[in-house]
Amino acid sequence: MTKPATGKRILIVDDGMTTRLYYRSVLEAAGFAVDEAANGLEGLERALLDAFDLLIVDVNMPKMDGYAMIARLRGDSTMHAVPIVTISTEAAGSDADRAYEAGADLYLVKPAAPATLLETARLLTGVAA
Amino acid sequence: MPLVKVPANDPQTVVDDAAAGSLAHLVALLAAPGGADRRAAVRGLEAHDEGIAPLCARLAIETAASVREAIVATLIRRRSTAVVTALLPLLRSDEAPQRNAALEALAAMPDEVAPHVEPLLRDADPDVRIFTANLLGVLPHPQAEAWLLTALADDHVNVCAAAIDGLAEIGSAAALPALRALPARFPDDSFIAFAAAVAAQRIDA
Repeated sequence: MTKPATGKRILIVDDGMTTRLYYRSVLEAAGFAVDEAANGLEGLERALLDAFDLLIVDVNMPKMDGYAMIARLRGDSTMHAVPIVTISTEAAGSDADRAYEAGADLYLVKPAAPATLLETARLLTGVAA
Repeated sequence: MPLVKVPANDPQTVVDDAAAGSLAHLVALLAAPGGADRRAAVRGLEAHDEGIAPLCARLAIETAASVREAIVATLIRRRSTAVVTALLPLLRSDEAPQRNAALEALAAMPDEVAPHVEPLLRDADPDVRIFTANLLGVLPHPQAEAWLLTALADDHVNVCAAAIDGLAEIGSAAALPALRALPARFPDDSFIAFAAAVAAQRIDA
């Protein structure tokens, strides 16, 4: 059942079509408004053009990878405070280190369970469960 | 006086005209500090059979996106078994831009990539199997769907997830039984059930 709107917008940046749809279904059911981008370059453009309360960013994407996208966003003075979560298939600690160095606030490993995804989205957007 | 001088801190490269097209000069220029010089080197090396190996080696460390793109475009035009063999190690790179560049180039060389697909799908590193499944989703080859079905039988959930995405794009009715059977192998993973259902719906539509 879809919950009342939270008033929070989330941008999902992932080249996996099924992944984007899955995150969208989980987040929209909890009342978040969701937009999508299929690669880092598209995600960068969307994030700079529209206001989002949270970005969920894959690492391995064509055209521009997630690390580069996050680093570019953090270089923009208007994007310092927007929370960014990376979700990657790579569980190595060095990948998490790299995400944090680029400017991510949190690093999750795929597949992210719906409860983890929701808890993270609520925590970083200030929405009560 | 040397024919080629590539000062470490000087973007202005000094070149002897007679040496401008030589292999040694171009390989040296490939390490020049300026991106424009490196792109010029890439263009020059395309004319040399011996230039392919230096280009692949440079791709592994190149930090400028424009130079990587120039190298990828050149390697695609000079596609060969040797190019594919030189690119495959980049799938193990820790650097996402390098892996992505290799995947983009490999996707444009389906016939040359084909002999390597099955060994890649048996690779001990699950990340290599995931990237191979990603590649298969965009590889214009008649065997691509069959290879994706092999990937779908992988024990690693993220290899299966990558295979599902590939099948959602290029799969036929032949993939439906395997997609519908997959969630039973990962009963605790709601994403796999969701993604397999989405892929099956797209194929059925």
